[in-house]
Amino acid sequence: MWHHILICLPILGAILDVAGVLSSQMGRVLFLVVFIAGLIGAIRHASFKFSPDLVRSAVLSLIGAVLTFILSTKLELGVVVASALVGLVGAQVFKGRDQLVLYLGVFVGMGSVLSFTSLIVAGLLGGLFFELTGESWVGVGGRLGTLAAASVLVVLAAIGGV
Amino acid sequence: MSTLFLGILIAMIWGAAGFWLRQHTKLTVVEVSALLALTAGLILPRIFVDGGFFALVCTAVSYAAMCSDERMCSYGEMLVVSIFCALILYFGQNILVGVGGRLGTSAAVAVLLLVLIKSLFRLGSAKVNVES
Repeated sequence: MWHHILICLPILGAILDVAGVLSSQMGRVLFLVVFIAGLIGAIRHASFKFSPDLVRSAVLSLIGAVLTFILSTKLELGVVVASALVGLVGAQVFKGRDQLVLYLGVFVGMGSVLSFTSLIVAGLLGGLFFELTGESWVGVGGRLGTLAAASVLVVLAAIGGV
Repeated sequence: MSTLFLGILIAMIWGAAGFWLRQHTKLTVVEVSALLALTAGLILPRIFVDGGFFALVCTAVSYAAMCSDERMCSYGEMLVVSIFCALILYFGQNILVGVGGRLGTSAAVAVLLLVLIKSLFRLGSAKVNVES
């Protein structure tokens, strides 16, 4: 059960945001504690193993995030068009689960609250979350976006920028 | 309020289009989602005053359309999820603002709501069967 916590982090973030405590020190600490519990649960879960896929997914997610961020902010295409373009082009270049991981990174890059450095960390984290939550919410539309939101929120909570 | 109703209507159109693309083309889930989001992002802001919001709703619906056939197996279910997406985004406009993945999270919540409702109906009909 603990390994499902990671993917539920955005829902916790939304609840804390509605309660108005997400930006507070207490809210950030609570969020990070739950994140660490989920991370330990996911790593200790039987289905998890350290493999090169971890690095591959982290890098692919990072590429998606950075490309979307550049297209939406520097070229001013807007997040929706930028994300769709990166997703479409990525789907022609990559196949299978690589497409999905790149698209997850795209969602990370759609945010407007991260600096470029934070975005890089969140992008890498998104790919790791994809590998760590392999059995969570399988087949649920929006799963990739949820993982992206989790990675962005973890970075924001860690740097105090929520 | 008219924004909400128009948003629901447009979301349902995009949802139906997404489901049709999933069923009748060989496009991958990523391609279907990106196509829907691209058309929404290019067309809606040029037609409607609230087109930016409608584009976000349709983008969320495009993510929900990435569901597997087991999770969502009919046009009716896709339309219900589309309505949920529009409602969640309309009433949750001030939640997690600027956080990447917010639209996907909204889509996932909409799909999970559908799954919950389906489970409750199944549980209810199972109880009726046992009692009769």
